[in-house]
Amino acid sequence: MRVLRYLVILSLSGFFGTAIADEPLYTVVDGYKVDPDTLMGFKTWRAAACDRCHGANQQGLVGPSLIERLKTLSKADFVKTVTEGRLDKGMPSFNTSKMVMTNMDHLYAYLKGRSDGAITKSKVEPIQ
Amino acid sequence: MRVKFWYLAVPLALAAATGIVQANSDVEKNIANPANWAMQAGDMYNQRYSKLNQINTSNVGKMQVAWMFSTGVLRGHEGSPLVIGDMMYIHSAFPNKVFAMDLNTQTIKWKYEPKQDPAVIPQMCCDTVNRGVAYAEGKVFLQQADSTLVALDAKSGKVVWSVKNGDPSLGAVNTNAPHIFKDKVITGISGGEWGVRGFLAAYNIKDGSLAWKGYSTGPDAEMLIDPNTTTTWKDGKVQPVGADSSLSTWQEDQWKIGGGTTWGWYSYDKALNLVYYGTGNPSTWNPAQRPGDNKWSMSIWARDVDSGKVKWVYQMTPYDEWDFDGINEMILADINVKGKATKALVHFDRNGFGYTLDRTNGALLVAQKYDPAVNWATHVDMKTGRPQVVSKYSTAQNGPDKNTKGVCPAALGSKDQQPAAFNPNNSLFYVPTNHVCMDYEPFAVEYVAGQPYVGATLAMYPPPGEKHMGNFIVWDANAGKIVQSKPEKFSVWSGVLTTAGGIACYGTLEGFLKCVDAKDINKDLFKFKTPSGIIGNVFTYQHKGQQYIGVYSGIGGWAGIGLAAGLEKDADGLGAVGGYKELANYTDLGGSLTVFALPPK
Repeated sequence: MRVLRYLVILSLSGFFGTAIADEPLYTVVDGYKVDPDTLMGFKTWRAAACDRCHGANQQGLVGPSLIERLKTLSKADFVKTVTEGRLDKGMPSFNTSKMVMTNMDHLYAYLKGRSDGAITKSKVEPIQ
Repeated sequence: MRVKFWYLAVPLALAAATGIVQANSDVEKNIANPANWAMQAGDMYNQRYSKLNQINTSNVGKMQVAWMFSTGVLRGHEGSPLVIGDMMYIHSAFPNKVFAMDLNTQTIKWKYEPKQDPAVIPQMCCDTVNRGVAYAEGKVFLQQADSTLVALDAKSGKVVWSVKNGDPSLGAVNTNAPHIFKDKVITGISGGEWGVRGFLAAYNIKDGSLAWKGYSTGPDAEMLIDPNTTTTWKDGKVQPVGADSSLSTWQEDQWKIGGGTTWGWYSYDKALNLVYYGTGNPSTWNPAQRPGDNKWSMSIWARDVDSGKVKWVYQMTPYDEWDFDGINEMILADINVKGKATKALVHFDRNGFGYTLDRTNGALLVAQKYDPAVNWATHVDMKTGRPQVVSKYSTAQNGPDKNTKGVCPAALGSKDQQPAAFNPNNSLFYVPTNHVCMDYEPFAVEYVAGQPYVGATLAMYPPPGEKHMGNFIVWDANAGKIVQSKPEKFSVWSGVLTTAGGIACYGTLEGFLKCVDAKDINKDLFKFKTPSGIIGNVFTYQHKGQQYIGVYSGIGGWAGIGLAAGLEKDADGLGAVGGYKELANYTDLGGSLTVFALPPK
């Protein structure tokens, strides 16, 4: 149950932006300067070479647009998809990637920020 | 006793029945008859030239569609079918179906569809292409995506033997066509973006047993390099490579995950008994992580077909910083170079230079840019054989997390795997090219077995001030000069066919098959819009006295995906960017074969 509650908070913060939840999913300034966790999410995105299928701007190539997909995909389904993959569709399983598995929440936060339109550039920088 | 009897009797019976000792003779016999298209390039020299001339400059404009065939597979279709006698062997992208089509009745005699673990699909990011089958001595050879090499009975489609060529769970998968030279099936490996250590392997046609395997990196013995007899181009002459030529160019054990994969088209010179091929990029794409020349990634190789021993090797791009993956085909042609009749090897590298070497010993003869946009190096120093890198475009000098902008060509090269053709009538080469530049930002990445090991973010776009992203060119490999150049809106990602009818044919990403006058390539003599974008290779054959020209369509590959990726430079756009959208105005997925012929008289 604790897991569920956690997920609800995350998804609420996703729907209503950063103002409502106790802990914001991400913090962004000027559209591309982000908090350290979200920056880690970007670094994870890059290291896992997600851009090869989803596009440098998450716009979708052979894989779907994550800008669009994360508008409807639940956090639980996101975690499941990244962990187990959708092999027949070409989505790898990242369960052996320590970087992806330990930074799953940050990866989600970064992509959610891109999908929400709050993070306006694919390449983000730290808030100074 | 019974087992022993069979063991002896089968090969003997085969040899007696066909009257041959080596499979080479069977393939030779098939390629000598121009009615067949018996190898992926039509011959062992990778020339892609046909002696057929029923379809020629005077009538090619009247060609019509003779028949079409859907493979039922959506993803990118590279390579071409083979035709031997009355049979055509058609293949598809993953799941790698093979259809044996009886040309007399246009019925499918058999179909083979392997069961492969779907986990292979993501390892092939980002497209599941396959470059076709090989044929010899009543067997069809298929190199499946999951690295399994199979020999199928050409009459029944039943598996005769099957062998595992790599470990797909580590990213070692296959896209290349197998090649038959002598009594061996030669195959390579993909996975340069997974840290796979490249190799070329030779299996015996007879039973699939491994004859030899030569790695691209590592200890001399594992590369089948002899420090004293294997040669390379050094200080303006051919010299022995010396001991530890690879190990001394890597830090510690990095060669073990150092790439140098081998997924291109191979060629063979019977008189020299040498097989020629190229090795790909060093892994990772972040050069800061692998200081050194990273030998022998990015190299042209000549190996003895019987033993695998390396006769000579030449590295085109030492210490790659741009993913100029050196796997493109080696075309063997006997031409005049610098006033001398030369057994030449001609190669259009991803790095934008067209190379002419003496294929007997690997001597460097010519290295010139085959796209004027190429800017990452000023020229190749003919003494050392090394490209002279321009600092501004050096992603290593600029360092990790710095975006190096405006590098031409882009990572997909001035040409990728799409093979060029030679025209023996004028000794010129007909080359399908990319005209694309890039921004390249390397970053540190950690190796995890079976996970992508890329380490760079790229954006690709046409050269500054230009709108077209491809050229179809004619190249003089003696002078090192472009003779003619015809712009195309998108990269020309289709293998070229030249014929004795005086034509050159190629496909476009929009889906057009085009045939031009070999003397004036700007003259489109024939143009037809096929069902999908073309990344396959044009081929020709003759059946019952009629010449046919055919090509796969089915957009995909890096051209249909990667190229389309970043047509607009930007890093801030949302949604599909300009060029990708534009390609979508012309075509969508779908694998099929379209075959053309002259109309009945």
